[in-house]
Parts: sequence; structure tokens; C-alpha cells
Amino acid sequence: MLQFLIKRLGQSLVLILIVTVITFFLMNLAPGGPASMMRMDATEAEREAIAERLGLNDPVTVRYGKWLGNAVQGDFGPSLSSGEQVIDRIVDRFPYTLQLAAWTVLFSVVIGVVLGIISARNRNTWKDYTINFGSVIGLSVPSFWMAIMLILLFSVQFQLLPSSGTGDDAGFMDRFKSMIMPVIILSTSTLPTIVRFTRSSMLEVASQNYVRTARAKGVKERTVIYSHALRNALIPVISIIGVLIPRLLSGTVIVESVFGWPGMGRLIVEAAQSRDYNLVMGVTVIATILVVFSNFVVDIIYSKVDPRVKNLA
Amino acid sequence: MMLRKVIAVFLLVALILAGCGDQENQGNSSTKPGEVQKGGNVSIPIVGDPIFNPWHPNAYAESNIVNRVLFQGLTKPGLDNSPTANLAKEWSTSDDGLVWTFLLKEGVKWHDGEEFDAEDVAFTFNDLVLNEALGSNGASNYKTLDKVVVVDPYTVEFHLTSPFAALPSYLAFNSEILPAHKFEGVEDPWDYIEFNKENPVGTGPFKFDKYVSGQSLTLKKNDEFHNGAPNLDSVTFKILPDLNTQIAQALSNELDIFVLEDKSSLKRIEQASNLDLVTADITRYFWIAVDQENPKFQDVKVRQAMLHAIDRETIIDTVINGYGTVANAAITPDQKQYFKDDLKTYGFDPEKAKELLKEAGWEDSDGDGILDKDGEKFSFTFDIALQGDMEQIAVLVQQYLKDVGFDVKLNTLEWNAMIQKNIIERDFDMMLNWWSYPSDPDVLAQYHSSNAGKGNNIPGYKNEELDELLEKGQSTSDPDERKVIYDEIQDHMAENLPYIYLWYPQELSVRNSRLSGLPDLHFGGTLHYINEWSVTK
Repeated sequence: MLQFLIKRLGQSLVLILIVTVITFFLMNLAPGGPASMMRMDATEAEREAIAERLGLNDPVTVRYGKWLGNAVQGDFGPSLSSGEQVIDRIVDRFPYTLQLAAWTVLFSVVIGVVLGIISARNRNTWKDYTINFGSVIGLSVPSFWMAIMLILLFSVQFQLLPSSGTGDDAGFMDRFKSMIMPVIILSTSTLPTIVRFTRSSMLEVASQNYVRTARAKGVKERTVIYSHALRNALIPVISIIGVLIPRLLSGTVIVESVFGWPGMGRLIVEAAQSRDYNLVMGVTVIATILVVFSNFVVDIIYSKVDPRVKNLA
Repeated sequence: MMLRKVIAVFLLVALILAGCGDQENQGNSSTKPGEVQKGGNVSIPIVGDPIFNPWHPNAYAESNIVNRVLFQGLTKPGLDNSPTANLAKEWSTSDDGLVWTFLLKEGVKWHDGEEFDAEDVAFTFNDLVLNEALGSNGASNYKTLDKVVVVDPYTVEFHLTSPFAALPSYLAFNSEILPAHKFEGVEDPWDYIEFNKENPVGTGPFKFDKYVSGQSLTLKKNDEFHNGAPNLDSVTFKILPDLNTQIAQALSNELDIFVLEDKSSLKRIEQASNLDLVTADITRYFWIAVDQENPKFQDVKVRQAMLHAIDRETIIDTVINGYGTVANAAITPDQKQYFKDDLKTYGFDPEKAKELLKEAGWEDSDGDGILDKDGEKFSFTFDIALQGDMEQIAVLVQQYLKDVGFDVKLNTLEWNAMIQKNIIERDFDMMLNWWSYPSDPDVLAQYHSSNAGKGNNIPGYKNEELDELLEKGQSTSDPDERKVIYDEIQDHMAENLPYIYLWYPQELSVRNSRLSGLPDLHFGGTLHYINEWSVTK
């Protein structure tokens, strides 16, 4: 186990390093520069003064070296657009994205597994077709469009849900209401996958000998499904959650912009648009760590749930 | 069975939510109809996190809106757009125009209770604006400023290197004064987070209350505001980058006022009974710049032909829904005192365009539909930034120019990349953009030969006669004399087309009908009078 952990840690560090190299050079070699230098009416002297202040006159390799040296000590430097420490900006925003992502995973798994079971148990009936159709729609309709439609319906027409914000100042009910639409939209990228995975996994398990044996013994259908089939069918579903985490993070970019949600997704867009190099790097590193870590956790859970997976390495 | 339970739970939640309608912004129901209400909150959207320092290099449009409410300038735009008293109660200029004396209002308090005085003005300009190493936002507007001298606690002198008649107008334009006492001992004013991001201290009608990055900023009323306590209790700036969300929030009474940059949702807003659409003239004009270092564009007949080839009226009607008028020069119609409305204009006339091109030697001699001269085709690239309606406009312009024989290729760039290529490297044949400037006809920065190549003279137009007129206009304070000079300047512009003028856009703002007390100005101008705003029920 220890050997496995060390190996995974080593792999993760190399991966993070590669991601930082690619991101740093892509960002710095892209045309343009920090937004403060890119004003229409800024003069050459103003641009030079700002470049000097931001330390942009060094060659890009030197700047990467400096950045890396500081980053390994936990210092991501100041945000080029506001002067605040990058880590502070991330700490401000990260909990909001985490909150959104956690609720989305929970919502997707609970609803997705239920719908997947219904779909599998009613294979090739109208229920199955309806759920499948819904999954395809969920995956194919652009999320920003669906988000606007939900806002028009629930915020403008019925005035039931707030169209933006987190409801932080208000009570639990307002916070809950603020979360409903963002979670639904974010789930459109994860829920259909879980539904389809659960469905195919259930169908596969249902044809296994032990399920047939259970039925032959006269066990109640309910017990067959929930005690025998589902437990085994869920194992591959766990692995898919690891794959969905990066998809969730990219989904937050749109959802957070439309619903005015102050999370990391919006932060990275703002950072990239304004060429806030330090902030882009900070958010990228944190997002990479998050993805690596969540996959790692999924692997561990997988090994615990499925006794067949003994040799983790 | 389980499905039924799930549905039942959802229905229950929906019922609970239905009983929790949004009460925000609904005012006091006991107020009689039409009565001005004291108190209440107004919500305004901004597209990003603001910086509470108007001179910070990263203070963009969203910061300007907020800073106009938190801080005060020496002057502000009057109801006729000309500068009027604010922190300065009156001003005068020396005979040679090189020294401006401003008498400051006494008894004005900063939000922390300290008194505002001349030291604050001197600090703002001498230590921030004139410190070249800082690259202050807008410092280029004060190129002629040498120093600010404190005469006594309530008198300051602006010493200039050359006369600058537009100084009071520029002081009303994103040039708010900062508190010297808060910046004492601060090494780098741009890294002074405690002020710039966390706890700003201004002299404005509203003071800092609460800020959540990425979400909202709340300001509360300043009872000691020097122009009278505001009617409203608070102003909330909601950080909403998405226009559709802004519109949805306006429809559901969660937002009160904002500028509608994208007109595609106009119909939906027109149908809403709770919203008014208000138009206003602004100091802005759209233009096309052609590289005047390139011999192809140096002949004025080519530029005139281009303007005859473009159907500006149709573009205005279709792309910006009629909210604009054809432009012939740089002085905008909101500057009523200086705007000349009988300038030479260029109607849509492709035949005339072809005639002018023929006179300039450009003809389609080989019948391939493209103009040529001495074996060279009239081919060029039209750079365009992805911003608002600009791409749509560029496609139409490209088609109009193709129709008279120009071979135009569109090159779409992200905004930041466009600035790098077109503005910094001056690498373009043709580009489309706009200028906004303080409400004063002094446009020397965008036209003078000394600003060609590097400064704001984007097309690189050089003309001694225009230079002389611009310098004269800049140094003349007398309005009647200035009027004569700027008439000549506008005639020159319309005839020679340093830029290819497109239109003067009108600003369209969406306002909740409960909002009152706003002066008849564009949105940015009304913010200077936010202490007079109120909400009625």
C-alpha cells in the first residue's frame, strides 16, 4: 500500500509539473498581455512602466523558473489584475465551486442511479425510452441555453428561484434555492453518464448466474435488485465519478458565469481574458491537484468496494 | 412506488418555494403613489470585480461605475455636459493659460471623518498621476500637467507645460481625488489591498459597506455628503458578467438600471411593464482606421470612396436598431456647443465610390471584380476584435467594400490579441473600433501627428494644418474662439477623413420604472447625481 502511495504521489507531481509548463508557456506566448497594458488609450510609456512593475521584461523561461521556485514554497505571487495574493483569491472562490460540485455529484449519483435502475428494469419499455431520450437531450442541449431558459421560467415567469447569487446573506432556504438551478444545469453533464452507466451495468449484472440463482431460490425481486444486483452494478459507477470531476470543473465555467456564482470557474475565465498569468497558473495548479486527488480517492474506494481489485499498483 | 415518492417530495418543495417569493427591492408599500421615497436600495450590475481606486491600471469600466459613487472629482459633468463645480467650487486660469487655480469646497469630509483639503489633490496628482513609474490609468490625459501646488488648505494650482483649456472637463472624467492620509507610508499604491480592494475611503455620496468577490458590493449612504444626504439607503452592485442574466434580473425587479450594449433582447424589454428604455447621447464615435503609412490609403479619394461605398444608415438601422446617427467628424452631438451639423457627408452611393476610385487610378481593368492599379490589386485585411456587434458590422462593411471592387479579407481577433497586433505593433491595413472621451472637443490625442505611430493617432494621419488647429484649440479657453477653431477642425475631418467615420451611437439604458430623480444624462453622467436618485412605489 505504502509503495503504491509513493508511486502515485510521484506520478502526480510529474503530471502537475507538466501541466504547469504547458500552461505557463501557452499563456505567456499567446498574443497580448495583462489587461492593464492592453487598454486602447494607454501610451507606450504607460505600458513599459506596467511591464516593468509586473516583471514581464525577463525572458519567459526565467519567469517560469522564478514562478516555480516560489510556487513550490506555496507562494503563487500576486494577481496581476488586483494585486491580491493569488492564493487568497482562490481561497475566497474555491468553497463556492466545491459546494456546487459536491451537490451536483450527490444529486447526479442519487438521481442517476435511481433512473438507471428504472431504465434497466424496464428495458425497451416507454420508461426506458423516456429516460434515454432525456439523457440524450441533457447531454446535447448547450448548458448556457438551458440555464437561460430555466432563469426565464423559474426566475422571471414564476419568480420562484433567484436568477443569480448564492443567497449567503439569507437563511438556509435562500441558499438552497440559489443552488437549485446551477446544480440542475451542472448535472446535465454528469447525470446522463451515470444513468447510462448504471443501466448497462445493471443489465450486465442481471444476466449473471448469482442473480439467476437468487431468483431461482425465490428471493423477492426487490431483494434481488437491491441486495444482489445493485451492489455489484454500482462498482463501475464509482469509477466513472472520477472521470466526471474534470467535466464538472469545466462545466462550472459556464454555470458560474450565467448564475453569477462566485466560484473558480469564473475566476479562470476572468484570469485568462485579462492575461493574469499568476492567477491562471494558481487556478490551474489547484484544479490539477483536485482532479488528481479525486481520481486517487476513487481508486481507493474502488479497491475497498471491489475485493477482486487486490493489487492496486 | 419510489418514483411517486420522489415526485411528491419535488411538489412539496415547489409549493414551499412558491410561498417564498423574492421580497428584495420592493420598497415600502405604505408610501403614496408618486411620492418620493426616502430609503430603499438600488441594484446596478457590473461585469467584474471592481478596484476601489480610479487611477489603478486595472480599473476598467466596472470600477469606473463604482468609483464615481465612492469618490468625487474636483469637477463633474453638468446637466449640459460641461464641467460644473464639485469638490472645487470655482476655478480660473492665468492669462497665459499655464496656471489653473481651483478653490476647494470647505468642510468636505472623507468617509473616515478626516477633512478633505488641498493636500489630497496634490497627493493624487503629484504622487500618483505624475509618477511615471506607476503607469496610472488615465495619466496620458494629463500630459501637459507639470505639478499641482498647494497654495493654502483650500486652494490648489495646476501648473501646466502648455495651455490646456479642457482641464476642467478632464477633471470630471474618472479623475477622482484620493485621501492622502490613507496612503501615508504606502510603498506601492497599486498593491495597497487594504484600500484598493477591502476598505476604500472616499468623499462620495455612498460609502463602503460589504464586498463579496465575484458576487456583490454594497455601499451605504453617507449622511455627511457635501452635496446633501442621498435619498437612498444603499446601492448594491451585483457582479453579473452575463447579459442574459442581467436582463432576466431586470425583468424580475432584481436590477434597477444598466446600459444595454447588446440590442438583441430589445423586444423582450420593450414588452416589460416594469422597465423603461431611455436613450441618451454620449461622447463616443465608431470609426474605421486605414493604415495611412500604406500608399494605397493615402489618397483621400480612396477614403472618400470607401465611405460612399458603406451604407451606414442600413448598418445603424439593422445592427444597432437605429440607436445612432451617421458621423462625419470626431466632435459628438452631445457637445451641443461645438457640434457642427452641416458638415460634408458621404451618402451611400456605390457609383460615386467607383468614380472617385477611378479618379485615384483604381479600376477593375481585367474584369475579375477587383480593383487594380499598375498591375497591383487593391487587396487588404480588415482586423476585427470579438466585441459586441463589431463582427457583425465588419461583415457588412466587408460586403459593401467588395461590391465596389475592394478585395477585403476579415481577420477576427480576441480583444487582447487585437490590441497587441493593431495598437501596440501598429500592424494592420484596416481596423474598426471606437473612441470615448471626456465631453470636450479637444481630440488632439487621437489626431496630432506627434501621436502617430505610437500614441492614440491610430491611422497615423499627419497633417500640419490640422496639427496647428488642434494646438490652437487646446490652448484657447474662450468658448466663442474655440467654437470657430473646432468648426474648422470638423470641416477638415469631414473633408480629409483622417478616420473613416461611421456613427455616433446613442446609449440605451434599461431602467426600472420605480426609479426617479435621475437627471437627463447618459448612465455614467447620472451616477454623478446618485444622491438625488430615489425609488418610488
